[in-house]
Amino acid sequence: MLEVKNLVFAYPNQNTPWNFQFSVEPGKCIAIHGASGSGKSTLMNLLAGFLQPQSGDILWQGKSIRNHAPWHRPMTSVFQEHNLFEHLSVEANIGLGIHPGLKLTEENRQAIERGLEKVGLGGFGKRLPGDLSGGQRQRVALLRAILRQQPLLLLDEPLTGLDSDARDLLRQWLLEQKAHGTLIVLASHDEEDRQILADSVCSL
Amino acid sequence: MLNRAFTLLLLAITSVPAIAEKATTLTIYTHPSFAAEWGPGPAVKKAFEQTCDCQINYVVLNSGGDILQRLRLEGESTQADLVLGLDTATMETTRQTGLLANHETDLAALDLPIDWKDPVFVPYDWGYFAFVYDTEQLPNPPESLETLIAAPNDLKIIIQDPRTSTPGLGLLLWMRNVYGDQAPQKWQQLSGKILTTTKSWSDGYFSLFMNGEAPMILSYSTSPAYHMAVDKTDRYQAVEFKEGHYLQVEVAALVKPSDKKQLGRAFLDFMLSADFQRHIPLKNVMYPAADLGDELPAVFDQLIQPTEALYFDPKAVNENRRKWLNEWLDAMTR
Amino acid sequence: MLPNRHLAPFSRSGWRLWPGLAIASALIVLSVAGMGALVWETSLPSVNELWQSRYLRTVITFTVWQAFLSVVLSLLVAIPIARILARQPSFPGRSVLLRLMELSLVLPSIVAVSGLISVYGRQGWFTGLANDWLGASWNVYGINGIVLAHVFFNAPLAARILLQAIESAPASQRRVAAQLGLGRWWYWRAVEWPAVKPVMPGLAALVFTLCFTSFAIVMTLGGGPAATTIEVAIYQSLRFEFDAGRAALLAMVQLAICGSLWWMAARHGLTASLLPDRQVASHRSRAGSSLKARLADSAILGCFVLFLIMPLAAILLRGLPGMGMAFFPEGSFVVNPALLDATLRSLAIALPAGLMSVTAALLMLACGTATSRPAFTRLTDVAAYLPLMVPPLVLGTGLFLLFRPSLGASSQGLVLVTLINAMMALPFVLQMLKGPMGSLDSASRQQADQLGVLGWYRWRWLHWPRLRRPLALAMAYGTGLSLGDFGVIALFGTPGQPTLPVLLYQQLGSYRIDAAAATGLWLVLLLLALFSLFNRLGMPARKPGLAATSPSTASEPEHA
Repeated sequence: MLEVKNLVFAYPNQNTPWNFQFSVEPGKCIAIHGASGSGKSTLMNLLAGFLQPQSGDILWQGKSIRNHAPWHRPMTSVFQEHNLFEHLSVEANIGLGIHPGLKLTEENRQAIERGLEKVGLGGFGKRLPGDLSGGQRQRVALLRAILRQQPLLLLDEPLTGLDSDARDLLRQWLLEQKAHGTLIVLASHDEEDRQILADSVCSL
Repeated sequence: MLNRAFTLLLLAITSVPAIAEKATTLTIYTHPSFAAEWGPGPAVKKAFEQTCDCQINYVVLNSGGDILQRLRLEGESTQADLVLGLDTATMETTRQTGLLANHETDLAALDLPIDWKDPVFVPYDWGYFAFVYDTEQLPNPPESLETLIAAPNDLKIIIQDPRTSTPGLGLLLWMRNVYGDQAPQKWQQLSGKILTTTKSWSDGYFSLFMNGEAPMILSYSTSPAYHMAVDKTDRYQAVEFKEGHYLQVEVAALVKPSDKKQLGRAFLDFMLSADFQRHIPLKNVMYPAADLGDELPAVFDQLIQPTEALYFDPKAVNENRRKWLNEWLDAMTR
Repeated sequence: MLPNRHLAPFSRSGWRLWPGLAIASALIVLSVAGMGALVWETSLPSVNELWQSRYLRTVITFTVWQAFLSVVLSLLVAIPIARILARQPSFPGRSVLLRLMELSLVLPSIVAVSGLISVYGRQGWFTGLANDWLGASWNVYGINGIVLAHVFFNAPLAARILLQAIESAPASQRRVAAQLGLGRWWYWRAVEWPAVKPVMPGLAALVFTLCFTSFAIVMTLGGGPAATTIEVAIYQSLRFEFDAGRAALLAMVQLAICGSLWWMAARHGLTASLLPDRQVASHRSRAGSSLKARLADSAILGCFVLFLIMPLAAILLRGLPGMGMAFFPEGSFVVNPALLDATLRSLAIALPAGLMSVTAALLMLACGTATSRPAFTRLTDVAAYLPLMVPPLVLGTGLFLLFRPSLGASSQGLVLVTLINAMMALPFVLQMLKGPMGSLDSASRQQADQLGVLGWYRWRWLHWPRLRRPLALAMAYGTGLSLGDFGVIALFGTPGQPTLPVLLYQQLGSYRIDAAAATGLWLVLLLLALFSLFNRLGMPARKPGLAATSPSTASEPEHA
């Protein structure tokens, strides 16, 4: 279980700090809901460890991960954009999620190729992200997140700006992950996203 | 990657050939124009090694000043057995380090314009400072220091800085010797003709004089010998000044902490023999310190033969150098 | 399941912090110890002497003044040249021009000055032209000559660094600017200035320090003792007077002036925010592609090329006769063994020196990114530039005094020469790598952190692909600087085996003017070949990034 307890954070010039509190079971999805500037992305960054809270705690399976470095936390983030390393091929971008030094086995490689085919990007492995459309790039980012096989997925507006075909495909895919027991924290403006994916809503 | 870098480095270091150590190695601190491949160094080394069961190892320092500097820095722990390449301007300071031993060499063979009785330093060559001019640019050069100083300012000369170069210091002493306390005024008069004052003789000769920037440069009276004998051109000549020319004597000396003094003394004796001296005229482009008779190359007869050798006692130079330098600076920056 | 199943080698933050910090501390300790040893030897004269001596006052004022002028002019030349080169990414000869620009800094000063004199001296081509056609009376001796030479040495370096900065401006910004149809001025304000701003303070400080400590050039072209830099005064007090105290005092003055400048530059460099540089594929702007603008560009560039190439042509012309003698002594091709030996020896010193300076620079930069404490970053920043500020003669003498008992065998001396050369090249190398090394934007950093792409892996997959070209250039500079070095090697003495610059001076000392000119030309050609070679090595693989997933087949290029 993921528990966020009284997590307090404020930027240097911010008068009223944010205070986050919620908990989620594995296999469930919680939607974070709020207007722009309500702290959705900040919460995502706090969970991932890119920001340090002023007080409060984050527990995973009952243990605090508040002071863990980002690479020691059991989660993968996908943002609205800037998820890929532009100078590396699609295959390498995904591969870095499997092994951070790209030491890939033949099995890994096949998994990447199968995944790419599944999201309709078969044969795109050697391309650079710059050659792909926005929807294609998000599919690559999500594929990396899924192949990384972490129990938590942090999704910050991952489907915003995509065409409806891509959205349907990725939503379907996220549901599958939930069914496999993945816990999803989803920040989204989109009512439809929340209805289809979320089991609970946390309003900011 | 670091490992690879390290291996590369090791390779590079070990590929630099180490000097084979023989039983007795005579280490001589000297400067590049002596030790260069075409300088007298290699020929002298070969000749001397035939007379002894030993090997000469030259440690090449940038100039005579650097030899002194290195000796002073190393003190009693110095590796040098001999120093070769000091001159009359630096020898007194070197003597004061107390690191040199008496030579005990018979100086009878010496053939210098002055009487030499120094117990520590043995001369191996000598020459006069002189202005070398380009006969094509300047058919009628001034014939005395006085006419040079009085010449109109469109005559340009290149000199070297007495703070950094041996000939530069030579000219300072020359002016001082001729004009005494009047020297600063004379420097001021001369300053309009000085195109520039270079750091070293090489900078002036190579970058400026040989590019035709000025028709006259402060150099040595023997410089034309090389141009005549090797370059086969009479174009560059030294001009003889009526007041006389300042003398430079290059010397060698035995180092006190050396445990090979006997070998060192043998080398100093050898230095005054024809086997050493015959390499001086064309390889060091200076006058030999001992009479070579017919062996002196013919071009040396065509050089200027100053009637008067101007010379300060090295002790006086040492005592006054700083004062004279400051006077010069003052005169030139006013 | 723990996410860090595959812990990257060298991924502890200590690995980024300590090596760089150790190098920085070593540089500081060496510099302080070098000067300290001198002070130890004698006593420091009273500081009052500085203000009382008219001569020293003049020297300090002149040193600052000529360095200031040189910086301003070098940057005034460099900025338009860098902008034009960025605007015109493909014209014939562009890459040759870049190689020539890289060359000017590493030329031994005696060779470069000879070339400059052939063009701008009293008998020079340019002077004849200027006097006959323009009616001007150009005189190279004096402050003009000093500044001219300094611009020749430093403007191409500055332009090269600025070009690199402009080219790394985010493509998105450039695209937006192009869509908006920004004019030249607004394009500069919106795109180019933000890109060059972070490197500007360091660059200006670098050029200032180089000109501040300039020595042979100032004396040769300065005209007389009125043109004296602090370095000359130091040289004089150490070489002839052995007034170590005075030398140390002057060295401290130099260190204080240049050091405070660097400290300021480091502070400003830090506040400059780095823009995300996500786009690697370059979308060139079409700003200023009208015919008129392109003609103006060509004209300015043409002048610059002439400025750069004429002295080099003079060196070529002067060296050719001697080259014939060096390679065809009796009509048939024989490589002169002395020249060959000197070349190999020079390379044996220069290549490891270049490698060492690049490695040290990378470690020091890594240290700057590993810590959030600005004091550490600034420390590494300033320490790297110490070798430029402490006069080599002072440093060398001081170190000699310290290591006197253990310095013996000649090979040790050469190792020391290599080390010091690496140290002297460090400031330049660091300047080349600073921009690209810091160019990883925050989004990429966060992604990499989360994925565990740390330590060696981060270096291999995120930094290396971007650093390839800058690294190659840095390596070329590092090697080139040591190859052309005369000062360090002359300081420590060589066992009769000359490097190329030493050979050149030996030849000069024996009146072998033609041979010396040939050696100078040979050195220039060697440097040119070196820069071309490293540029080739720095080119990205033929299909960038495509082979990236198979490390076994992806070639991992050597640095050297």
